[in-house]
Amino acid sequence: MAGETPSQTIGPFFHIGLEWKGGENAEVGTPGERITLTGRITDGAGAPIDDAMFETWQMDAAGKPPAAGETRPGGLARCYTDKDGRYRIETVMPGAFSGPDGARYVPQFNVTIFMRGLLKAIRTRVLLASADAAKDDPFARAIGDAARLKTVLAQRDAARPGTWNWDVRVQGEGETAFIEF
Amino acid sequence: MPQIHPPYLYPPYKSTVLRAPKQALVRVPPSPLDTSGPAFPKRFVKQSEADLTQWGKGAPLGEKMILVGRVLDDAGRPVRSALVELWQCNAAGRYAHPVDQHDAPLDPNFLGRGQVLTDDAGEFRFVTIKPGAYPWRNQPFGWRPAHLHFSLFGSTNAERLITQMFFPGDPLLPIDPIFNSPPDPAARARMVASLELESGIEEVALGYRFEIVLGGRRATPMGH
Repeated sequence: MAGETPSQTIGPFFHIGLEWKGGENAEVGTPGERITLTGRITDGAGAPIDDAMFETWQMDAAGKPPAAGETRPGGLARCYTDKDGRYRIETVMPGAFSGPDGARYVPQFNVTIFMRGLLKAIRTRVLLASADAAKDDPFARAIGDAARLKTVLAQRDAARPGTWNWDVRVQGEGETAFIEF
Repeated sequence: MPQIHPPYLYPPYKSTVLRAPKQALVRVPPSPLDTSGPAFPKRFVKQSEADLTQWGKGAPLGEKMILVGRVLDDAGRPVRSALVELWQCNAAGRYAHPVDQHDAPLDPNFLGRGQVLTDDAGEFRFVTIKPGAYPWRNQPFGWRPAHLHFSLFGSTNAERLITQMFFPGDPLLPIDPIFNSPPDPAARARMVASLELESGIEEVALGYRFEIVLGGRRATPMGH
């Protein structure tokens, strides 16, 4: 068993190496309802984090892992927060899926966020479902507490069809539920 | 087993203070999204991005180096078609980035961006120059040791890693809070490349080796 390489911070200069043209589009490669996932990332003082990299990995509309496209990986989106700490990705609505143990998962994204000041990434799952619909999802069960579950539920935007809003608070009041790894 | 990764809150690195999560982290069994991951087609990377010295019209300033290595999983098996992304500052310690305002010259022949997919043996090879050390405001008289930034995608989403590579014998390593943030000295040593002269080019470039081991099997059902 080889020893793992430790994680280090992404630092403030990552755009040089990590900028992908059109990276904010997940290019799932199969049809589905077009959606936008957007929100703000804020720190322990409530200030916007303008130097974060935000990545999502998801199932396609049928609940299957997307295959590679000709020039892009399928199902992976990468974007960078702006001055207001806002991120935004474009994709298709992921389908529900099941685990090998029969567990049922509501439509969701795996989210990985990197930033200066984080020596390792923060990881979580954002669920595109109401608290009631998500109640048997393994992540909802693991979180337990209803107020904390709310921090990982994206909300449909009433004014903009197809847009889901989800804010990330990395520390403090209303801190998002992150996953241990 | 000693902790391999740094903690979120590590006050010697000041920027962690307002950005480290403080609530208990959630323990949840791996989902099918953790045990799958994006696949990168060959055409995603440009062949030219393996040689960072070819970016400008002329040769960049600095000590030319060949960096070889492998991406392995934590059972020591090579990871094929892993995406390896690299970024670094120039030989004077300046990043080609608007946020870097430190008073050192930009090099018109150096951007500092590299990208490759590993081959069937999990191997990669970059041609670049050794980055310079640079000052930062984290602590009085603070200087970051020479380092290269690496971003890795393995075969599953759980293997995703961003790390930094350092140089053997660098006198700035003991004062760098970022390098020293992983608590286990043996784990820190895995971020230091080794000199491998025969991987260089005689009379042209120094050779270094950097082996990267991805975790994440703990996130697979087998690991439970």
